[in-house]
Amino acid sequence: MTKQHPAWSPYDNNGGTCVAIAGADYCVTAADTRMSTGYSILSRDYSKIIKLADKCVMASSGFQADVKALQKLLAARHLIYQHQHNKQMSCPAMGQLLSNTLYYKRFFPYYSFNVLGGLDNEGKGCVYTYDAVGSYERVGYSSQGSGSTLIMPFLDNQLKSPSPLLLPAQDAVTPLSEAEAVDLVKTCFASATERDIYTGDKLEIVVLNKDGIHREYMELRKD
Amino acid sequence: MDLKMEDFNAPHSMGTTIIGVTYNGGVVLGADSRTSTGVYVANRASDKITQLTDNVYLCRSGSAADSQTVSDYVRYFLHQHTIQLGQPATVKVAANLVRLLSYNNKNFLQTGMIVGGWDKYEGGKIYGVPLGGTIIEQPFAIGGSGSSYLYGFFDQAWKEGMTEEEAEQLVVKAVSLAIARDGASGGVVRTVTINSEGVSRKFYPGDTLPLWHEELEPQNSLLDMMNVASPEPMNM
Amino acid sequence: MSNSAIDVPSRGGFSFDLCRRNDMLAKKGVNLPSFRKTGTTIVGLIFQDGVILGADTRATEGPIVCDKNCEKIHYMAPNIYCCGAGTAADTEAVTDMVSSQLQLHRYHTGRESRVVTALTLLKKHLFNYQGYVQAALVLGGVDCTGPHLHTIYPHGSTDTLPFATMGSGSLAAMAMFESKYKEGLTKDEGIQLVVDAICSGIFNDLGSGSNVDVCVITKGHKEYLRNHLLPNPRTFVNAKGYSFPKKTEVLLTKITPLRERVEVVEGGDAMEE
Repeated sequence: MTKQHPAWSPYDNNGGTCVAIAGADYCVTAADTRMSTGYSILSRDYSKIIKLADKCVMASSGFQADVKALQKLLAARHLIYQHQHNKQMSCPAMGQLLSNTLYYKRFFPYYSFNVLGGLDNEGKGCVYTYDAVGSYERVGYSSQGSGSTLIMPFLDNQLKSPSPLLLPAQDAVTPLSEAEAVDLVKTCFASATERDIYTGDKLEIVVLNKDGIHREYMELRKD
Repeated sequence: MDLKMEDFNAPHSMGTTIIGVTYNGGVVLGADSRTSTGVYVANRASDKITQLTDNVYLCRSGSAADSQTVSDYVRYFLHQHTIQLGQPATVKVAANLVRLLSYNNKNFLQTGMIVGGWDKYEGGKIYGVPLGGTIIEQPFAIGGSGSSYLYGFFDQAWKEGMTEEEAEQLVVKAVSLAIARDGASGGVVRTVTINSEGVSRKFYPGDTLPLWHEELEPQNSLLDMMNVASPEPMNM
Repeated sequence: MSNSAIDVPSRGGFSFDLCRRNDMLAKKGVNLPSFRKTGTTIVGLIFQDGVILGADTRATEGPIVCDKNCEKIHYMAPNIYCCGAGTAADTEAVTDMVSSQLQLHRYHTGRESRVVTALTLLKKHLFNYQGYVQAALVLGGVDCTGPHLHTIYPHGSTDTLPFATMGSGSLAAMAMFESKYKEGLTKDEGIQLVVDAICSGIFNDLGSGSNVDVCVITKGHKEYLRNHLLPNPRTFVNAKGYSFPKKTEVLLTKITPLRERVEVVEGGDAMEE
């Protein structure tokens, strides 16, 4: 028997699921805290959500090393922006920056699947959803990562959004109250954890509204 | 180190050390006890010296599934043969059955074996049956991945006309040497001694085996090792 | 001479007719459907009065859990049970087949089945299929010769051990056994150790999860403790519940009876024999 060595890959998949929901005056961004590889759990308490600006957070799943590199680069670019303009970057600006950063590595991509949540210049909730090479769209809600195939249809059913082709453009934000949106996110993750092996351990929820930023946690299944 | 699922689907392989030695009046068979799938030790106390008849035993190496199947068939044939003959089968007959199966199914089998035993016609005999179905009658035979560490040792240490004790000590020493060097061999040493008196099995636990050349003492737990030499606080 | 091939009626077993076609398709990039695998933790140990088997209850298809509470401890005979890991269809088929052979053997002999009989039947079948029947088993039982515990690998090799683990969680479970197992455990100690080993697999191996099944077999008696422990309850339920009002859109409500479009002749001529 000849033993075959698999070709070395620069990528790994560390799993995880992210969800973001935009409301009229708030934005809920959530992700589980499990980091895994293959059939092993690497950490049960690893945060996938970082604050990029005062009114902008990013939740990322995929390959942790690439996510970390991406976060570091965005933080550096944001620091330069602050020195040049003496203000925080807005969420739509950060959305464009993230897209450009991802596309810059079009032929050796960051293996990261991101959702950006925040408040726009009018204080309205905004969510941007991405693929790994920078295609992005402003939406009312989105899900990325290993459990997204389980969560997305449920969100589509509960929060049907208007077509982006309608004229005049309609608001993509969901009609739910903030508390209802948080409960919806909790249900999404409790359900996804039942069926997706890469989602679990703990849920981290970040709520952005006019009062500022607020974090809460909920326990998930640990198997 | 990375454990992949392929390791578990890989066929069970006995990276092994097996030995058969003749002495004045009989034979001694020896083996380690490690069975591995890839880098995982699936069984640390396996018995690779299988009984074929009252007076003939078989040391197995290579694929566990293949060698178990071959030995099951040979045992079955020998039982029939013994009943038909009305007396114990000879070592030569047993070895020839092993060879027959190995040779006829050589494209499907990955196993090397050593047949050893005693009969009233020829006394103690050792037969090596390596991969393709060759059969060689030898004064001593070694096999498995650990055997490559032992050829020189046996050329030097084996003597014509040893006593039972000398032969057994030689086998235990050889297996423990191979265990020390070969990663695919390990665990305990098992021996089977066969002569006109009958058969005796012996078992040498891993922590009683001699240590060779800067080998570490066996520990029950890796944590115990840390307590052996607790580091002194550094003085500035 | 020209055509000496004769169609022989099939004698049972698997058909490999499509293997060459599937190889060709695989080379062209058509992937086979994924099988339901029991990425599993299964264990067994011998205690003072007999054998205890344990299993988790998760079945997966790739990263998705397809059964949250499946049964992995299979019945072989009244005094023998068998835990299965690997492709669910194979473990199910192979244990069902052998248990039926054992039943027939009992009718024939009028005696209780022995564990070695089950072991030999299983290993023979698995060896025949050279590892393609992907069943990794932990076989345990008590017969007239005492308690027995065996592991059987997909290629047909077997081991005889006082404690054994199998499946993707076998390393996690074996860590528990290697540190805590001793000879002559009581029933309660034995069950606790099996539960600890399975839980170690459930929590540390992503292929294993949900609940703990246990089966205790002693001389002339057995206890199948289905869902002995439920360590993973759902963590959140929305008090208000959800409504799913959208239904399939109704396009047409007019019904066209087909009977009016065709002529149905009742009681025509009977078909010729």
